[in-house]
Amino acid sequence: MSGAAGKYDETVDGGTGEPGEPVHGGTDRTDRDGTGGPDHIGTGGTGSPDHIGTGGTDHGGTGESGRGRADGTAGRIPRGFRVGRWEVTEPIADGGWGRVYEGRDTTVDPAADQPEAGEGGTGTGAAGGRVALKFLPTSGLAPRQAERLAETARREIEFGSRARHPRLMTLLDSVVLGDCEVPGLDGAVVLVMERAESSLQDLLDAADGTPLPEADRLLTEICEGLAHLHRLGWVHGDLKPDNVLIMADGSARLSDFGLAAELEGTRGTHGYIPPLGSPDYLPPERWRAPLDERGVLVRPTADVWALGVIIHQVWSGGASPFPGATFTARASAVQEYAEGRAPLRLHVVVPEFWRVLATDCLLPAHTERAAHTAESLLERVRAVGQGDGSPVARPRTGLRAVAVATGAALALFGAGGAAWWQWGTSDGASPKPSEARLRVYNADDKCRARTDRHPLCSLGLAIDPTVPYVLANVVDTRVWHGDALVVECGMERGVPVADEAGARSSRWYRVRLPTPEKSAKTVRTTAWLPDVRTESNPSVPACAG
Amino acid sequence: MSGILIHLPSAHRTEPTTTRRLGPGEAARFGRGTKAHPVELLLPDPAVSRLAGEIRVTEDHWQLSNYSTTHSYLVENPEGAGEYLRVPPRRSGAPIPFEFARVVLPTRGSTVSFQVFAPDHVYLDADDPGGAWGTRTLNAYSLDETATYFLVLVALCEPRLRDESAVSVPTTPQVVERIRPHPALTRLTARAVNAHIDYLAEQKLRVRGPQDVGAAGSGARRTGKREAVVGVALRFGLVREEHLALLPSRAPGAPLPERARPGGHR
Repeated sequence: MSGAAGKYDETVDGGTGEPGEPVHGGTDRTDRDGTGGPDHIGTGGTGSPDHIGTGGTDHGGTGESGRGRADGTAGRIPRGFRVGRWEVTEPIADGGWGRVYEGRDTTVDPAADQPEAGEGGTGTGAAGGRVALKFLPTSGLAPRQAERLAETARREIEFGSRARHPRLMTLLDSVVLGDCEVPGLDGAVVLVMERAESSLQDLLDAADGTPLPEADRLLTEICEGLAHLHRLGWVHGDLKPDNVLIMADGSARLSDFGLAAELEGTRGTHGYIPPLGSPDYLPPERWRAPLDERGVLVRPTADVWALGVIIHQVWSGGASPFPGATFTARASAVQEYAEGRAPLRLHVVVPEFWRVLATDCLLPAHTERAAHTAESLLERVRAVGQGDGSPVARPRTGLRAVAVATGAALALFGAGGAAWWQWGTSDGASPKPSEARLRVYNADDKCRARTDRHPLCSLGLAIDPTVPYVLANVVDTRVWHGDALVVECGMERGVPVADEAGARSSRWYRVRLPTPEKSAKTVRTTAWLPDVRTESNPSVPACAG
Repeated sequence: MSGILIHLPSAHRTEPTTTRRLGPGEAARFGRGTKAHPVELLLPDPAVSRLAGEIRVTEDHWQLSNYSTTHSYLVENPEGAGEYLRVPPRRSGAPIPFEFARVVLPTRGSTVSFQVFAPDHVYLDADDPGGAWGTRTLNAYSLDETATYFLVLVALCEPRLRDESAVSVPTTPQVVERIRPHPALTRLTARAVNAHIDYLAEQKLRVRGPQDVGAAGSGARRTGKREAVVGVALRFGLVREEHLALLPSRAPGAPLPERARPGGHR
């Protein structure tokens, strides 16, 4: 298994345990592919992920429509059950198509699971040797059902063995069980995958109608995964938030390749997949697509359509761009739009840049959509992300416009102008010599050039760095580029935060507020600044507790 | 979501029936029509109002508005063993739940009627009911397992389900003979079976088969269509071994090799 583990290494965050300086401005985004996630999160099995690597509970169809399959025929898989060199620990999810368990690599010393061990995970292919084991039982099925299940497994394995990328879920191994003591498991196929923390769908469910924090980063990562997948000559076939998994470091990965198809035809224009799909993510042409024994024709533009829906959902907190309470209503709205009887009405919260991008992804005819390949979309995203100063996308809009567009003052990514202002000293409150200080840094070069403390260039401070950085978690005080703040201590493992240039970090500093914020009950004297908001590297103790 | 199909009877016996497709969100008015106010669906019977009503496609079904101030319209389910609903005068947008419907307008003496098919009705996957559909991976070709067309499909698939080596697909007369013992289908005709096969091939499964490349005669075309329908239905598990139980049991002593009980052997 060293082969898979070795390959996995490429995808694991190289910066484990080495809190390097985040790179600001001008970062070549392709670098991010190599580093995976926030630099400062130990990938060594932090916390206990309670989610899995295989598409949540919901990719029912890919497992296929056999009945009586898993239930009844396959008993519960006991703790300690061995699959190759993995051992079942906890059940994760159950579906009509099979079951997912958490597994542990028995060749790894459990002690390596401790965060202190730091790099425990990197050598083994998963944090602390933890993996997700997806059981696809085949016994008790009619031959044809078993065939179809085998096909699902075959697609996953075929794809998984070829595609290794930090934005694609890695298939570590696949095992076919022989005779075993658990009834119904003889001949089952077990897919061994990386363990994820949650899925994009989980984030959307929790978003409650508000844009996801770090929406632009998540979408960029999804674009990266999709562009890579298409570059390899494959179509995902079932792209949806359930199949975008969120790793422990907060990075997104595409998963669930049970419907992935390799492109064929003389120019590699299309593939064929079983006639399955998630209604809300199907392009309009799919509803009229003819079917033959190869299946239904699928083109890369189908994934691009799904991406358009996902972009809208990430900004609108889960809402489809098409109106309707039921998926049949939304699917019929898709047809009305595709036939030109209804306009595309995107939610106002979607920032201009992403709105244009989503509109291109959602062009009604697949021939029109074909002009917008995943690659070209990714280029556009990167162009804006790198701050090329594109006049259309910038100050008001684009990646930076999270706060503006949502009307929320959580301007983590404020846009606009900045001030070289140091209130720490200018008001005469000179710090004690022992106090460490840092200087606020704004990754937006336009903001760095300004000195008028424009609200659009203001940056926020968090109340609690361990919960998502949203409006409710931001203090009233704003800071601007160049401000000097007194630092009390640092913390390595907060919520990962990315800046406009793509630098990411989960390190936070507790800083003293220049003026305590008094409310009826409390007086707040400190708040938290994300590490990406400073280029200083103050030597401060770790925060207690 | 592809909308609905409306089959209007011909005004004269010599003319074929006209078929009209309405996409999601589209509407069509029906009635006798006038030069000043033409209607999309013409019912040239003196007893029908000039503007008698309207059909509008909504989601996977359709709505019927009754513009008459005096007459109720009936919507029958031809497969529903007498199932029908009444749309009273001036009712606006009554939702019609039937996949197959016949709209009946009262006239003196006989009745005027036309058929509306709604092939978009969605059925949950058998093994995974409930849950959030929008994110669920569904079979995009869902069939009503209680419909006559499904029984026709099972009959077509039966030889291959029972015995892999049998590659032949039953002919229309064989299908008629096979499912006629079913108590609800004693009056099934070959024409009806052909219509069901066409509906399956064109509206439900949308098979891409020999009929698309322009076969010679209509007989050959239908054979190709039948084979394509069976191939797709079996390949993607739309018809499975357990569905054989839907077919009426064979008459005792029937001179056919398949004596096994429904449910299949092997």
